[in-house]
Amino acid sequence: MVEHQSIYLALSALLFVIGAAGAITRRNAIIVFMCIEIMLIGVNIAFIVFSRATQSVDGIITVLFIMAVAAAEAAVGLAIFVLMFRKTGTINIEKFNLMKW
Amino acid sequence: MYLRVSSKGVYMELFTLIICGGLALGTSLMVVFARNTVHSALWMIASFFFTAVIFLLLRVQFIAILIIIVYAGAIMMFILYAIMLLNVRISDSAKSGMKISKITGVVLLLLLLPVLVLIGMDQVIPAVKGDVTLQVMEKFGQIPVLSRFLFSEYLLPFEVVSLLLTAGIIGAVFLAKRR
Repeated sequence: MVEHQSIYLALSALLFVIGAAGAITRRNAIIVFMCIEIMLIGVNIAFIVFSRATQSVDGIITVLFIMAVAAAEAAVGLAIFVLMFRKTGTINIEKFNLMKW
Repeated sequence: MYLRVSSKGVYMELFTLIICGGLALGTSLMVVFARNTVHSALWMIASFFFTAVIFLLLRVQFIAILIIIVYAGAIMMFILYAIMLLNVRISDSAKSGMKISKITGVVLLLLLLPVLVLIGMDQVIPAVKGDVTLQVMEKFGQIPVLSRFLFSEYLLPFEVVSLLLTAGIIGAVFLAKRR
């Protein structure tokens, strides 16, 4: 049982919803990417709260793995944005409708 | 020492939590609503700092430091480089060209919020008592406890994640290489 547990979980849910709302309303691919990072941070807070509530280390380890996956995602995602910018001259995600050219 | 907080300490903690949580939410909203992509990235860095304070309040100092080093240091530097490389200073705003499908999506997400908060209510969490308590963390130190689990019980996922990072870096170099 963590002190002020419901505040932490409400904060986590709010961060997740803000990130998700940004990811579906913005059209700049880099901003969509940052909104996904906000969603990941919100999920991380929930993982830490449950890890402390159950007195286990699993949630903290999961957060470490989430951060590693986010770093790999940043490297590959930004390389894809650079490539798309060279091909199409824009990073508007509504223009990203081709799998092959 | 931080385990034995007085009642005044609990109120101080609540105060810090509300201030820094509110600032984290506000800076995250600014990331979504800023018109300039560079401003958006800078608000994101501020948001990471306030989230690191939240992790400190949850007594995971190691994760708080990693948030600042990995997210605010490495990933945001990647993103700022990409913004400069692609030269997209002025972006579309969130308000322009709001389509009906986007509005529907946001409304559905706002409906998701009460569900998430209800799941977070106290009585849903089972009262499990594990062996990694705060006292254990304080006695042996956070990083020794975490690394003991990481290199024994979670060794295979750890190696798989390192393989994933290597594959990601090689893929990024291959994709961004000029042909």
